[in-house]
Amino acid sequence: MSLANEATARVTRRLPGLWTILFVALGLTILVSLGIGRFGVPVDHVAGILAAQILPIEPFWKPVEERVVELIRMPRIIIAGLAGAGLAVAGSALQGVFRNPLVGPQIIGVSSGAAFGGAFAILVSESQILLIGAAFGFGMLAMVVVYTISRQQGRASILMLVLAGIVTSAFFSALVSVTKFVADPDDKLPAIVFWLMGSFASASYEKVWLIGIPVVIGSILVYLMRFQINVLSLGDEEAQSLGLKVERTRWIVLIAVALISAAVVAAAGIVGWVGLVIPHFARMLTGPDHKVLIPAAALIGAIYLIHVDNVARASIAAEIPVGIITALLGAPVFAYLLRRAANKGWSSE
Amino acid sequence: MKSVFMAAVGAFAAFAASAEPITIVDQRDRTVTLDGEAERVVTIPIPAASMFIAVDGGTDRLVGMHQLSKTAIKGRILQRFYPDALAIPSNITGKGFSFVPNVEELLALEPDLVFQWGHLNDDIIDPLVNAGLNVALIKIGTEEFTRKWLTIMGAVTGKSEKAQAMIDWRDAVMAEVRAATADIADDERPRTLYFMNYLSKLRVAGGRSYNNFYIDLAGGKNVAAELGMFAEVGVEQIIAWDPEVILLNGFEAKLSPQDVYDNELLADVSAVKNRRVYKMPLGGYRWDPPNQESPLTWLWLSMILHPDKFDWGMSERIDRNYQFIYGQGVTAEDIQNILRFDMNADAANYDIFNDG
Repeated sequence: MSLANEATARVTRRLPGLWTILFVALGLTILVSLGIGRFGVPVDHVAGILAAQILPIEPFWKPVEERVVELIRMPRIIIAGLAGAGLAVAGSALQGVFRNPLVGPQIIGVSSGAAFGGAFAILVSESQILLIGAAFGFGMLAMVVVYTISRQQGRASILMLVLAGIVTSAFFSALVSVTKFVADPDDKLPAIVFWLMGSFASASYEKVWLIGIPVVIGSILVYLMRFQINVLSLGDEEAQSLGLKVERTRWIVLIAVALISAAVVAAAGIVGWVGLVIPHFARMLTGPDHKVLIPAAALIGAIYLIHVDNVARASIAAEIPVGIITALLGAPVFAYLLRRAANKGWSSE
Repeated sequence: MKSVFMAAVGAFAAFAASAEPITIVDQRDRTVTLDGEAERVVTIPIPAASMFIAVDGGTDRLVGMHQLSKTAIKGRILQRFYPDALAIPSNITGKGFSFVPNVEELLALEPDLVFQWGHLNDDIIDPLVNAGLNVALIKIGTEEFTRKWLTIMGAVTGKSEKAQAMIDWRDAVMAEVRAATADIADDERPRTLYFMNYLSKLRVAGGRSYNNFYIDLAGGKNVAAELGMFAEVGVEQIIAWDPEVILLNGFEAKLSPQDVYDNELLADVSAVKNRRVYKMPLGGYRWDPPNQESPLTWLWLSMILHPDKFDWGMSERIDRNYQFIYGQGVTAEDIQNILRFDMNADAANYDIFNDG
């Protein structure tokens, strides 16, 4: 314990610098991203358009440039940032409560559950609220199933958890295929396929609210639970002996994670690897204390996914699906982090 | 050379009595031999059904088609020309844009020839071949490919003369349009964009698509020519291209120019400002992919792109060529339906088609 305390103290001394760097990086990321795109908008015009939001500036830019920056790029950047932050927070929380570096929203089944919920909602109605509600409900259900399967004699082993996740994901993927099979090929099927593929291309301010509210609520909930997650990450018995209601804590965190994941899936489809890789990266910077880990992961996740989306939308004329890039970057980086941090921050069971 | 050979084969087939074996070479260079004229034909590629009906001049010998072939017939003009077409089974493939054959359903139809796509993967072909069926493989992409469909269909039905006449018509109209548009300078060619999908995602036709061929032929330039066949793009890319004319596909039945006009993100695009967004017509088949009526697509599009330069008398052309293709003429109301006046009437210059 003394070693861990010492590490935490060292990190705490570095913190003001860390926060400054992360916030400046996020601000710069947003500014730079507003200037990137297939439609050329000079940097001074972007700055002017932004400044005009609060200052009375005579427009020296074209109306079309204002539209591109305000109506196309801005909501897309906000959604990418929210999704990145949300997935990173969800991943950090899951890895904490399960004491398991291999857990992410995708592995634990919540993403495929949410995907089925959303596909089913598209099949039976056109309501966006129902879509996010069903995505949340089935995401939650999938997680409950994984959790139930993996528990043996009151505890969940890492192996069982991962295996249960694979089983549950496979089952819900099959249900998604059933949905696609019965969908009307002229009408519902293209909508479902498009939604499942996941892209920020259809971003709008409406969607900012749709994803923003659940992600913010879920993230705040996780942050409020930061001390309990810390205690849980010591192990169930230790947590119980310290007076923590283990089951209740775990459930609250799981509900928050399902809420975040469902919102991200609803807005952008399944974006893999972010919730797995970013928490690891953040943990290397901050150490295992969730009080600093969670906000740091959120900021890094936002920065990361905004940049990934910049590549997706601006590198070539055609849109590149975001999930392809996150997987191409995420898998090797994760393998590297896993090797490096094999015995740091995580006790092997 | 090959098409000359094919035509020769076709001419021979037409000449021979129907009991004589017919040999064709399909678009994967496979040789297919039939005992005589094909009497029970199944078409799996979507545009092939109406083309086969057109070549054969009826539906008697078509015993199965793709589900999406039938949706282009139902409620449209082909249903009136050939009411029996709706009774032809269309449960021979998976749902939607699936070309995976349901072999047992197919065998139950006892076809002596099955048309199937040759450019996708062999998994949709092998089950048919292994079941002992005669399979003719066809490919999509260029105008040249489409002509071979006609040649093959003519050969197997003993209607090579009709098929050749349909090819000659394509040649004649292509030469006519090309002569008219060849001299149009690059900066006078309207920047044109074709949406293969719009409602669920923005997917456009690139430089290797058939759409690119006829946009170019009709005197436009495809703004998405740098892309391959079909590709998904972002809204911003469309604003950057700033197309002057936008063409909407016929597959998304509910898609209308109004959907594009109502999209505030596209408000600055020239085609939207000048109301030059058009739904592709739907006659005996959807006019956007290659089909038996493609020359009418070329003429229509050249008038859309250059309303001040060209007037081919579309009503008369449609009527005359429908007589030729289907043996039946059309009314002024039919023409309005085919040219999608229900969606296009308010678009810029569309009254040039009101020449009935």
